[in-house]
Amino acid sequence: MAIQSRDHAEVSAVRRFAPVLAALVGLAVVAIGVMILADRNAATNLLSSIYEALGNTQGAVDLERGVGDQLQAKLLLGLVALIVGVGGIWMLYVGVSAVVGLASPTWQGRILPWVFVIPAVVLLAVFLVYPTIGTIITSFTAQTNGDPLANYKQLLTPQFIGIIGNNIIWLIVATGGSVLLGLGIAGLVDRVRREALAKTFIFLPMAISFIGASVIWRFMYEWNPPGQPQIGFVNAVWTALGFAPVRWVQDPPINTYALILIFIWLQTGFAMVVLSAAIKGVSIEVIEAARLDGASERQTFLRVIMPMIKGSIITVATTTAILVLKIFDIIYVMTGGRYGTDVVANRMFIEFYEFFNDGRAAALATVLFLAVVPIMFFNVRNLRRQGIGS
Amino acid sequence: MTKRLWTTSVLAVVVAMLFVACQATNPSPSPSAPAASEAPPASEAPPASEAPGSAAPPASGALPEVPTGYTELDTALGPDKPYTGKRVTIQTQWIEGEGANFDAAVAPLEEATGIDVVQESIASQHEVVLRTRISGKTPPDLAMLAQPSAVVEYGSRGETTNVATFMDPAKLGSDFSAGFGTALLSGDNGEIWGIPYKVDVKSTIWYPIKAFEAAGYAVPTTWDELKALSAKIVADGNGSPWCLGILDGAATGWIATDWLEDVMLRTAGIDAYNRWITHDLKFDSPEVRAALAVLAEQWFTDGYVNGGYQSITATDRLESWDPMFQPEPGCWMHRQATWLGPDFFPDVRAGGPGTQSQYVLGEDIGIMYFPQIDAAQGTPGLGAGDTLMVLVDNPDRPEIRAVAEYLATPFGLKAWIDIGSAQSANQTTPAEWYQSYKQQIAADIVGNSTSFGFDASDLMPPEANRAFWDGITAWIDSGGTGTDQFVQSVDAAWPQ
Repeated sequence: MAIQSRDHAEVSAVRRFAPVLAALVGLAVVAIGVMILADRNAATNLLSSIYEALGNTQGAVDLERGVGDQLQAKLLLGLVALIVGVGGIWMLYVGVSAVVGLASPTWQGRILPWVFVIPAVVLLAVFLVYPTIGTIITSFTAQTNGDPLANYKQLLTPQFIGIIGNNIIWLIVATGGSVLLGLGIAGLVDRVRREALAKTFIFLPMAISFIGASVIWRFMYEWNPPGQPQIGFVNAVWTALGFAPVRWVQDPPINTYALILIFIWLQTGFAMVVLSAAIKGVSIEVIEAARLDGASERQTFLRVIMPMIKGSIITVATTTAILVLKIFDIIYVMTGGRYGTDVVANRMFIEFYEFFNDGRAAALATVLFLAVVPIMFFNVRNLRRQGIGS
Repeated sequence: MTKRLWTTSVLAVVVAMLFVACQATNPSPSPSAPAASEAPPASEAPPASEAPGSAAPPASGALPEVPTGYTELDTALGPDKPYTGKRVTIQTQWIEGEGANFDAAVAPLEEATGIDVVQESIASQHEVVLRTRISGKTPPDLAMLAQPSAVVEYGSRGETTNVATFMDPAKLGSDFSAGFGTALLSGDNGEIWGIPYKVDVKSTIWYPIKAFEAAGYAVPTTWDELKALSAKIVADGNGSPWCLGILDGAATGWIATDWLEDVMLRTAGIDAYNRWITHDLKFDSPEVRAALAVLAEQWFTDGYVNGGYQSITATDRLESWDPMFQPEPGCWMHRQATWLGPDFFPDVRAGGPGTQSQYVLGEDIGIMYFPQIDAAQGTPGLGAGDTLMVLVDNPDRPEIRAVAEYLATPFGLKAWIDIGSAQSANQTTPAEWYQSYKQQIAADIVGNSTSFGFDASDLMPPEANRAFWDGITAWIDSGGTGTDQFVQSVDAAWPQ
């Protein structure tokens, strides 16, 4: 009996300390992992010391010098990131929650939410809030010559108004185009026999990055002098129809729309998939009721289905709108902002990297941020109204 | 649950210990690895380090003789090789062949001093990567940059080193010519923010030698002869005089601005040219308009450019001269700098790196001087080049200075020159080093030049440079009708 109780005491001591230990170990793993990830050469050094230990001196030297194939070092870094990111964080959470478990139930209830929220809050603060505030401060302080608003005043020149105007064209045409097209296709494929196949083809471009798509479309839009064979697909078709070849990428204003078409090609699939799912969610009884009341197909779609999937349409539209406002890749690859196609995000990049105008780049970033915030706000409110966010 | 927790924590301890162990061993590879890297050279090192003392002549072929005129380089080349095992990183835009050429150029220094020069070649977006690294306070030790205006910008921000603090400014001043010298890289208070390294001569026109002979065309030496040749090619029904395409992604425009710069030097002269760079001469001026008129005649006259003027801005710069290689050339002249060469011949581009071209430079494809226009302005040369920046400078790492000083000597480019494709910015480079057809043409142009201008757009503020590129591109698309718009847009873009 006495022995048994001593066992009990031991077990409970173990119970008491195990979580603390686990928490500490988790913390150590995360800390060491972060140290390795933060040091540019840590993974390389680690791997080269392993090579050294294995007797592969040449491999170790090559790694240290940064020559040759660094694939293994990169893989090791990835592995460390995985261990730290998944394993370390998991252990930390488990450990800390176990530690909290030692406290009285009332305190548990008070502490536990914070334990789980704080890491995310810290990460957000470090990587999102701090840079945002820093950027806003920079926009009022860098290269201003004493006038805090100097960088913003420069944005009111015709050149920048043109750039912002392009963003507005993008916002309207690209968002509208991809959402309307997606909606239309979603409504139509609902009644074809090979629905999955049709949807797959339209969704397929989603798998391509904006950069990749732009490179593809550069070939599509290629222009050759009249009379020579047209290598670009668009001009090949265009000249076959009897028109003169058009410089789709170089000639404004058609070029902005040509670039928007790339976006629509990429993004319609997303709108279609989400809206198609929403349409399928509309119960058949409602549609049948509408039909019995004598509504035509068009009326059914516009007056019954559309209002019922309004929430989804708003979600798709706002998500797309945010993507459009931030558009950079297509412009950067296709024109570099030339020929009157420049947009805010690309300009920000140019101002910072090419012109060394930190202040103006920060001002552009701030403008973009301010433009995105209301849409995000709207999006979140819409989600909450649908009961997703609350 | 407890058991699982225990297993996990034991596992975690093991993992953690492993990491700690690795962390602990981290410092050790640093000394041990250099020791290892020391090993191979060590066997060769004695003869190499003996050389300066016992057998001077072979050493003088590959290395500057001590005293070199530079403190740290003298120390590095000293008999005790104090910087052995030190590593110096340099970020360059040179990849593949060019990257290997640079490695070859620093190899003699590495062998003689034991310094390990690591080239970090950034294939695309070299400038962007560099800017990010410098802004993030983790710059490479050294970097090459093609835009003097950006070098000066980094200097004014205190992000690159004033090399005059450890190198004799007078020596730098006399080693480099006025065309690409320290004056272009100076700060407001006499600082020198970079060291000229490699130059490209831009006043060159590439042409098909055999086709010229077959058609009975002579290489024009004056602008009037060139105009006559252009007219004759068209009249003969032999295609177009010019192979011209300026499409180059985000950098579209620079080929056209090079043209204008070459013409400006020939019509307005070097003094006006230099005032133009500083905006003391506006784009909206008779000088610039006159130069544009010269261009317009060659570019916009019907049949003068392969594919018509509309094709200029829509034709890839590297493909634009392909018709020149046909047995009956579709176009006959391609104005481009001396960096062009067999690597860019159509058959090599199609075959990939390592392909041997069927065309021989100097036999099939020739290079001529972009002719004189106004005798009063002599025979100017236009060039551009790469500048070395010293981004890390502290007393603990004198080896960085030693490498920079080595690259400031002609020997810093020697191996690349020997390959036959580079031209040193250092004017003390012995003329006999230049042996290839291309180098001799380039050396002749430099030698015969009555004045030498550095690429104006690379010296203008970046905003103006960009407006210049964009403006001239739009001007070409307008077929020359948008002159007012072009010149005014660049003037307006000039930072106040």
